[in-house]
Amino acid sequence: MNTPVRRIVWALLAGFVALILATTWIQAVAGPGYRDDPRNPRLSAWRVGRERGAIITDDAVVAGRSDQNPEDPQNFTRVYPTIDRYAHTVGYVSVLFGSRGLERTRERDLVSHRDSTISGVLNAVLGGDPRPRGLRLTFDDDLQQAAVLALEDSRGSIIALDPTTGAVLASVSTPGFDPNSLVGSDAGPAGVALEEDPDSPLLHRTIATTYPPGSTFKVITTAAALETGIAGPAAEFADPEALELPGTSSTIHNYDDGLCGDGQSVTLAEAFVRSCNTTFAALGIQVGAEALTETAEAFGFNQEIPYALPVLASTMPEAADFFDDPAATAQNALGQRDVRATPMQMALVAAAVANEGNIMIPYVVGDVFTHDGKIESETEPTLWRRAISPATAAILSDLMEQVVLSGTGHNAAVPGVRVAGKTGTAEVTGASPHVWFIGFAPVDPEPGERQIALAIVLEDGGPAGETASGGSVAAPIAARLFENYLK
Amino acid sequence: MTRNTEAVFILAGTVLASVGVAMVEFAGGGWLDANVALTFISFAIAFGALHVSFRLWAPNANPLILPIATFLAAIGSIEVFRLDPELASLQRWWLVLAGVAGGSVVWLLRSSGVAVLRRYRYLFLASAMVLLLLPLLPDAWPIHGATINGSRLWVRIDLPFGARALSFQPGEIAKVLLTVFLASYLADRSEAMSTVSRKVGLFRIPEPRHLGPVIVAAAIAFAVLVYQRDLGASLLLFGLFIGMLYAATGRAFYLGTGLVLTTAAGVAAYSMFSHVRIRISAWIDPFADYTGAGYQTAQGLFAMGSGSLTGSGLGLGRPDLIPAAATDFMFAAVAEELGLAGSIAVITGYAFLVAVGFGIALRSRDRFRKYLAAGLTILIGLQSFLIIAGIVRLFPLTGITLPFMSYGGSSLLASASIAALLGRISHEERT
Repeated sequence: MNTPVRRIVWALLAGFVALILATTWIQAVAGPGYRDDPRNPRLSAWRVGRERGAIITDDAVVAGRSDQNPEDPQNFTRVYPTIDRYAHTVGYVSVLFGSRGLERTRERDLVSHRDSTISGVLNAVLGGDPRPRGLRLTFDDDLQQAAVLALEDSRGSIIALDPTTGAVLASVSTPGFDPNSLVGSDAGPAGVALEEDPDSPLLHRTIATTYPPGSTFKVITTAAALETGIAGPAAEFADPEALELPGTSSTIHNYDDGLCGDGQSVTLAEAFVRSCNTTFAALGIQVGAEALTETAEAFGFNQEIPYALPVLASTMPEAADFFDDPAATAQNALGQRDVRATPMQMALVAAAVANEGNIMIPYVVGDVFTHDGKIESETEPTLWRRAISPATAAILSDLMEQVVLSGTGHNAAVPGVRVAGKTGTAEVTGASPHVWFIGFAPVDPEPGERQIALAIVLEDGGPAGETASGGSVAAPIAARLFENYLK
Repeated sequence: MTRNTEAVFILAGTVLASVGVAMVEFAGGGWLDANVALTFISFAIAFGALHVSFRLWAPNANPLILPIATFLAAIGSIEVFRLDPELASLQRWWLVLAGVAGGSVVWLLRSSGVAVLRRYRYLFLASAMVLLLLPLLPDAWPIHGATINGSRLWVRIDLPFGARALSFQPGEIAKVLLTVFLASYLADRSEAMSTVSRKVGLFRIPEPRHLGPVIVAAAIAFAVLVYQRDLGASLLLFGLFIGMLYAATGRAFYLGTGLVLTTAAGVAAYSMFSHVRIRISAWIDPFADYTGAGYQTAQGLFAMGSGSLTGSGLGLGRPDLIPAAATDFMFAAVAEELGLAGSIAVITGYAFLVAVGFGIALRSRDRFRKYLAAGLTILIGLQSFLIIAGIVRLFPLTGITLPFMSYGGSSLLASASIAALLGRISHEERT
């Protein structure tokens, strides 16, 4: 009378084996598919609801923090007290829109390591701190505020860094946005409005947009001439009213359609200070495509700049593409035509001149600190590349100082500070020009004195529109920022 | 294994429950607090009571029953605590009550043994019927039924002076009483039912009067389905009846009839009730109506998939995103936080318990005890199989609890009584 019971046993045990097989299928084989399914609410809930470390500036202003939900201590709300000031760099974590900025790229540090998995428990037993890490940024909040204020309602970008270390002191992209408006599950309309805004407030212009660099590129053209020995600052050039481009019917004019010097001859130094297109077009043709591209690449063009956030590569066409086209060579030498640069790239050009030709890897995370404020790891300033020789850098530094003392960049002057810079007014067909200023201060700092290099760009001439120039719109902003940081 | 080894394993399970609660607290950013101690105390009292009752009144009981039950209850109560600490504090009271109730069952049977239950079988049948009908009491009465998630399984007692209402699921107790009744009934009749038969065409079928119980079983199960709209409970009851009939008679006829009747009832239910149709379509493709009928199943799949092999860690997953995670979907919650490793441990735990239960049945010399042990084991085995199978989509989803693990007082009470009865039966076989 036990036979039927035995059969029931086998049937039920077979059922349990089937359960194990089905569970294994769901968890092991089909598991990743379910886990990564966009409808799985864990994806965003995990990112958003967990405790994340604080993000603070160098002067301890909190740019991001997690507030514990009083009703559910396991649930945290991310708050960005500085609203739009650090929005692009810090980014956000959002239920609906994923994550961006440092919140995305440094998630490993920012999320809680508190963990009941075996490795997490072991880590805690061995004395590891399971709580989330915070990030101390290299930003100077005072300078950042000044930069935000300076751009006002314009579309544009400012990035300032310490040329000797690569530490980013300020980084602004306007228009900004309020990351707090994107965090919650009710952020749908706000996010869609930001995404559809024609001014692209979500775009991180400092690193994710390239502009024609215009006359600021003359620093690189001059560097190419100096490095190859084709021309020095005293080299003399003819001074025509307009330069006819060989092989074409088009001509190159100066900014005000006038002469550069006395109409006879002009030195390279004079042409640099006055930003004469005629001279630099001729110089560019002399220097040639190969040296131009090589020098631009030495400054970091056509490469991804190593940074805490992905940086769009600035582009300089291959020499093979324009070496036999003097017109293209001339226009590229003026930072027009096919040359495109991010504000970050142009700030590094200024920094290289300030730092004896060396470019440090730009960094924005100064250190990672534990929950109780101990520094866990610190960013060591690291050399990225030697763009130009110290001798070339010294000459360029001198030329750029002259630009501010007596040339197009005189609006960047700060009394009592040796300021160096280069203006740019990049022509845009059918629209107002993008206006640039790149520069640094002070020139040759005393030991222990702090130094700052920056790039400023305002799209479509900023508030001045079609009458704008780098010297009239961007240079005065530089003066305010130099003054803010150095005094 | 002896009673002392059993005590050691129960202590280990008790420690496991407390450590698990502590891990959940660490994961939530907290530190050790009273919950850890209270978990330890409630487990020590509940399983201590069962253990002591075995020691005193069933000293030869199988020593594997309580350790497995402690292990399953530990995993379950950790997860209930993780999902809702407030629910967990209620669960602790229920656990203590269930343990003491189980101990009392062993005490009641101390002198005359389980055989005494046979005397009261019609009382048990009547109480089971009443309990099954209780949820149908109109809402206006002080003791009344309640509809939760579309099923009318609950009874609520409104306490005076605005105290919170007490609710329980009488069906959980009813199914244990019905098992006792069936075991007793079959012990008297099985001989006749399995031998006397008449030939109709090619088939040898039992005497028509012996078909009575099958018809009654089908009728009760179908009535539960119709009036309480509960697919799980009706399937469980019907499976129990058919399984016990087969165990007692060895006649495949009952299995065949049962299968035919189940299919017929299933088809009828499918065409008659929209909620059954919805269940079936959500089973075939939960993502077809993701925001509607398939939502719960889909959330279970997301949870299990996210758990992967080793799980998110206790307190670090999001099982709270699954509807009814602490009751019906307990298995998915465990699978998320403890991973495939935890899922397999839980399934193996039930398989182990089923093996132990049937082992007791196989060794029983007395018909009643054999059928009772087999019936109680079928109850635990079928119930855990049905709900897990629903979650992993081997079978349409049925809203029943996972024995020992899910939140719920009635379920714990029934599970502890089953453990106590199995213990006492195994004791009687070895004396």
